[in-house]
Amino acid sequence: MAEKKLLLEHASDPKYATLDGYLAKSGYNGLRAALGMDRQAVIDQIKASGLRGRGGAGFPTWIKWNGIEKQKTGPVYLICNADEGEPGTFKDKQLMEETPFLLVEGMTIAAHATQADAGYIYIRGEFVDSARALRKAIDEAYARGYLGKNILGSGLNFDLYLHMGAGSYECGEESALMSSLMGERGMPRLKFPHAPLPTVSGAWSRPTIINNVETYACAPFILQNGGAWYASLGASTKNSRGTKIFSVSGHVNKPGNYEIEFGTPLRDLLAMAGGMKGGQLKACIPGGSSVPMIDADDTNKAILGYEEMADVKSMVGSGGCIFLNEHTCIVTFIWRTALFYANESCGKCTPCREGTQWILQILERIITGAGKADDIQLLKDVCAQIDGRSFCGLGDAAAWPVAGALRVFEDEFRYFIDHGHSIVSKPSMAGIR
Amino acid sequence: MSELLQIGSRHNRPAPPKPEDLTLKFSPKAVAELEALKGHYPDLKSLILPALWIAQREYDGHLSGAALAEVAFRLKRSYAEIEGVATYYSMYNVEHKVGKHKIEVCTCLTCAVCGAYQVFDYLKQKLGVEDRETTADGMFTIEEVECLDACDRAPVLQVGDEYLGPVDERAVDALIEKLRNTQESTVVKLADEIVQVHLSATDKQKVSKG
Repeated sequence: MAEKKLLLEHASDPKYATLDGYLAKSGYNGLRAALGMDRQAVIDQIKASGLRGRGGAGFPTWIKWNGIEKQKTGPVYLICNADEGEPGTFKDKQLMEETPFLLVEGMTIAAHATQADAGYIYIRGEFVDSARALRKAIDEAYARGYLGKNILGSGLNFDLYLHMGAGSYECGEESALMSSLMGERGMPRLKFPHAPLPTVSGAWSRPTIINNVETYACAPFILQNGGAWYASLGASTKNSRGTKIFSVSGHVNKPGNYEIEFGTPLRDLLAMAGGMKGGQLKACIPGGSSVPMIDADDTNKAILGYEEMADVKSMVGSGGCIFLNEHTCIVTFIWRTALFYANESCGKCTPCREGTQWILQILERIITGAGKADDIQLLKDVCAQIDGRSFCGLGDAAAWPVAGALRVFEDEFRYFIDHGHSIVSKPSMAGIR
Repeated sequence: MSELLQIGSRHNRPAPPKPEDLTLKFSPKAVAELEALKGHYPDLKSLILPALWIAQREYDGHLSGAALAEVAFRLKRSYAEIEGVATYYSMYNVEHKVGKHKIEVCTCLTCAVCGAYQVFDYLKQKLGVEDRETTADGMFTIEEVECLDACDRAPVLQVGDEYLGPVDERAVDALIEKLRNTQESTVVKLADEIVQVHLSATDKQKVSKG
């Protein structure tokens, strides 16, 4: 199957990042349609579309929007999670830089549906280009009556603010992001069922919706063409609807963002990215560093869809697809993954704070040639003890890639331990200490 | 006494000034920016992150104890709270004063398999410093960082508000040459750019009126 460009259709056109250019390509038709409906009808359209969160977890978007109190008792907040930090993912960056109005319009539609008063786009501190593009778009929208008081004469009031992070992967987790927005260390909070959902008590203890950039950017298309039309995309899959942007990187000829319809085979995505570079396909991390890697056989039979990826024991995640060629030493690669999680663990929950360090230490001794025979079992034990035992998903995300690699490439770990060097003769990650 | 316990540590904690030594260094522009930002959030505490960005610019790229104390004073929070927040985030330069230009090399997954470690080693050798160290002339600080999310341009590095990639040894040479001739500190420029994107057109009008 080929690319199916919806969000990225006009991305290469610089005019699309200006209000006039956006309006010329049927921009803001989605908001106009939404303003003509009552609030519940907008939510029903989102429900009919089958849209699921694009940040990684795949939670149905309409449930969040529907969970906001119908009789307002005070301010309601919208948050856009633009703290893209997952290694391998760079779709939100392109969306914000090249199609900023999709996000602004999508958030305004959500504001109408949920009676939200203010929206915050939380952007990671490094993404200055994205922030500048959004700043320009928001200023233009204010000046022309698409944001602020009485939007397009409908009586809707909505303010949109930018908030920059300052370098923390953990802040991409929704409860940590809200802590950070409120001026705290970016640490997660207790979650449902131990604490109320953000839709009941989120930022500043008020009802809050928090969605990914790509999720909001889908809303204008759904409102413009109808939920049923959107649901017809990806109809071949069990429960994944619409299009999804995959960020393809690693050993491929044409790395970049590719938007596809759900149900597209993973091997087609690889073909779009120009195929492998420098050797045969060895492994693929299909959804960002947190998801388990799969081998070449599974890559060839995997179908991109939330449920379908479970058939090869992996996930769609955030869509950061890293392809690795035969010269990659999996053990070293997993060591680097473990280093990432050890560095980025916020330190709140003991299993994650200590466990990520233990995984790192065990892998470090393996790649320096001092691995012990029972290290593989030890790694499996530590992973099992982290998984599901921390406040947020970072702990799980640290354990899954290690456990996943051990499932597929256990022989390679055993070889490294037995021989003190990699099974790969000229590893492509040379230069590591 | 506490200084004695921290000899040689890269994780020096900034020392807060004594109350009688507290000086306020924010320029009138910075004060006006902080004032404009107050309209964005329901409470003062939420201003901590943007205020730290302003402070990083006003204090020449380094959040010293005095800078943290000023933020605490202006937002009516405790010094300990501000220090706690500032030390959590990797982009705030709290632990040590960085050079005029901070070169951040991504060595995370995709960059690592595309040769980032060779680039970083070359940079270390060229400047004669290790990770998170500053050259003797105070010009460059280098730092190994986690994913910058520009994996399509791997290996990638960041200087100030700009991304550069894919980079190789020649690109590093050209970059160093260019930065040596750059008068403005890219560290300060980054902080300023981040402050500016928070401010709407209306906010900026208010700031320029004072």
